Amino acid sequence: MEWVALLMFAAVVAVLMAGYPVAFSLGGVALLFAWIGIATGGFDSAFLGTTPNRLFGIMSNETLLAVPLFVFMGVTLERARLAESLLDNLGALFGKMRGGLGISVTLVGMLLAASTGIVGATVVTMGLLSLPTMLRRGYDPRVATGTICAAGTLGQIIPPSIVLVLLGDVMSSAYSQAQLSQGVFAPDTVSVGDLFVGALLPGLLLVGLYMAYIIAVAIVRPAAMPAHQQDGPRPSVVSLVLALLPPLALIVAVLGSIIGGFATPTEAAGVGAVGSVVLALLKRELPMSRLIEVMRTTTRISSMVFLILVGASLFSLVFRGYGGDELVREMLMHLPGGAVGALLIVMLLMFLLGFVLDFIEITFVVVPIVGPILLAMGLDPVWLGVMMAVNLQTSFLTPPFGFSLFYLRGVAPESLATSDIYRGAIPFVALQLVGLALVAAFPALATWLPKVVYGG
Amino acid sequence: MPAGTGRFRFISTAAFSPVPLSDETADKLRGLSRALQRISEATGTAIAWLTLPMVAGTFVIVVLRYAFDVGYIWMQEGVVWLHAAVFMLAAAYTLRHDAHVRVDIFYRGMRPQRRALVDVLGIALFLLPMSVFILSSSWDYVAVSWQIREGSREAGGLPYPFMPLLKSTIPATSVLLVIEGVAELTQRVLVLLGKAEAPAPGGEPVEI
Repeated sequence: MEWVALLMFAAVVAVLMAGYPVAFSLGGVALLFAWIGIATGGFDSAFLGTTPNRLFGIMSNETLLAVPLFVFMGVTLERARLAESLLDNLGALFGKMRGGLGISVTLVGMLLAASTGIVGATVVTMGLLSLPTMLRRGYDPRVATGTICAAGTLGQIIPPSIVLVLLGDVMSSAYSQAQLSQGVFAPDTVSVGDLFVGALLPGLLLVGLYMAYIIAVAIVRPAAMPAHQQDGPRPSVVSLVLALLPPLALIVAVLGSIIGGFATPTEAAGVGAVGSVVLALLKRELPMSRLIEVMRTTTRISSMVFLILVGASLFSLVFRGYGGDELVREMLMHLPGGAVGALLIVMLLMFLLGFVLDFIEITFVVVPIVGPILLAMGLDPVWLGVMMAVNLQTSFLTPPFGFSLFYLRGVAPESLATSDIYRGAIPFVALQLVGLALVAAFPALATWLPKVVYGG
Repeated sequence: MPAGTGRFRFISTAAFSPVPLSDETADKLRGLSRALQRISEATGTAIAWLTLPMVAGTFVIVVLRYAFDVGYIWMQEGVVWLHAAVFMLAAAYTLRHDAHVRVDIFYRGMRPQRRALVDVLGIALFLLPMSVFILSSSWDYVAVSWQIREGSREAGGLPYPFMPLLKSTIPATSVLLVIEGVAELTQRVLVLLGKAEAPAPGGEPVEI
């Protein structure tokens, strides 16, 4: 009956295309398959009996608490107009250089990634503030839009990031499952903190690749990103410091405490959330009405994420019940090239799924199935997790359905062709693949820092 | 389109020759739908306040641990349970705001009637069965927890009745989802019959 599991996977992807919310489509399709199976004797109804326990497991999972806390922090900073003051100041600082606006957008993307990490908000803000300036100053629209979209996605790879929290949680249970299956009863663990620390250098590597590309374009095709002579006054040192200090202080408090090994990501998120409120209050950008908006937005995003987890866990329950796990294991084990071949296929599958699905579904549906198998083949969990994270980050950029492109389209001027946004993203997708290849070739990029921080 | 274009065509022509439904009945149904949605709105906006103690509580835990070297299990459990209550009980509210993520590659470009049809099928085939299933399968699980006056599994954790209370959010979430589901089903059927305006597509630009 294993083929039913694959049929169900295909069915769910097809059903999702129709557009009904993912959380309920996942759970609903799985239940229909389970009920048909129970009626025809092909499915053991005992599998469904564990549902309440699994739901309660999701509800009492302490790691996942980091998600609403980071969302709260990100939304607060967004409403406090952190991005605006950064863009104003860094834009004015680098504006006179050829390609300077591109550089400043990338740097702001990096700073926002390390403090808020909400892709949609970052892309929208930069699309509203930087894109018109870049276009007015004669930037090639493709270079301008590509830079903004790519810089926005950094939020998903540079910690703290929601992708890394979700992936870290899934990987940690996959890792203990993999070791149990090999008879290791005192297993090593991998945590969200490991992934945060592991993703830092690869994230900075991507920033470096983006900047190198922008500088290269500025040198080879000066007309694509002209320098700007009659600029306004340079920002005063005071305003520059005032713009940079708040995000830097938060980054030091949140990332510093994680990397220093003092705090778990959840604890750091709590500190960051309170810090962002203090910051917004100091900037006088947090009246009661806006705080209420922050609470409601946090509530909706949190519910959206975890209801997908609820739907996905029903899905994996039924997938497992039909023996889908075994089938996937058999397939992956018999690929030519052993672990490398299996890894390659999984990464390719995730990349392709990334064109149509978003990272939450892929993390909750695909990774729990393939993770334990790959880890049992001896791959390093941090290395694997970081590569998956880079891969998922790329899905924000892949035309035609990358979220980043979609949000930029929403705020870009009508005169800008959608095809320009798509074409602009392509070099950055290529840079992502270069980054991925580098991490694949040099695993130490991901694994060295966690070893230094956490020892072992 | 996986669901079959033929079927869409059938329904969209049906909209031109609606089943007999008097304007009065349509009015009543619209009123019912709105009344039910007010339940989702009220629970959601109330539940959202729990995010504040969740944030503050986590912060206090960190301060207590690092500054004073003390920690309380019940506080740890408290913040996790607030988080659980938020994402569970706000599920219907989130649905009402169309903030549950959709793969909207095709949905985005569809005419309002087709969108309504997708929603009708999704509610009838996925949302309602899933909610009812979770409701019925969790019933005994929660009842047992109340009967045995279940406490926390940890020493120093939250006392009875917090555990059964938290578990009760599972069926409560299902009931709220059924209420919101019925409200949306009614509304979308009215759209298909040409008796109601299609809702404006939701979705917020704060996608994480």
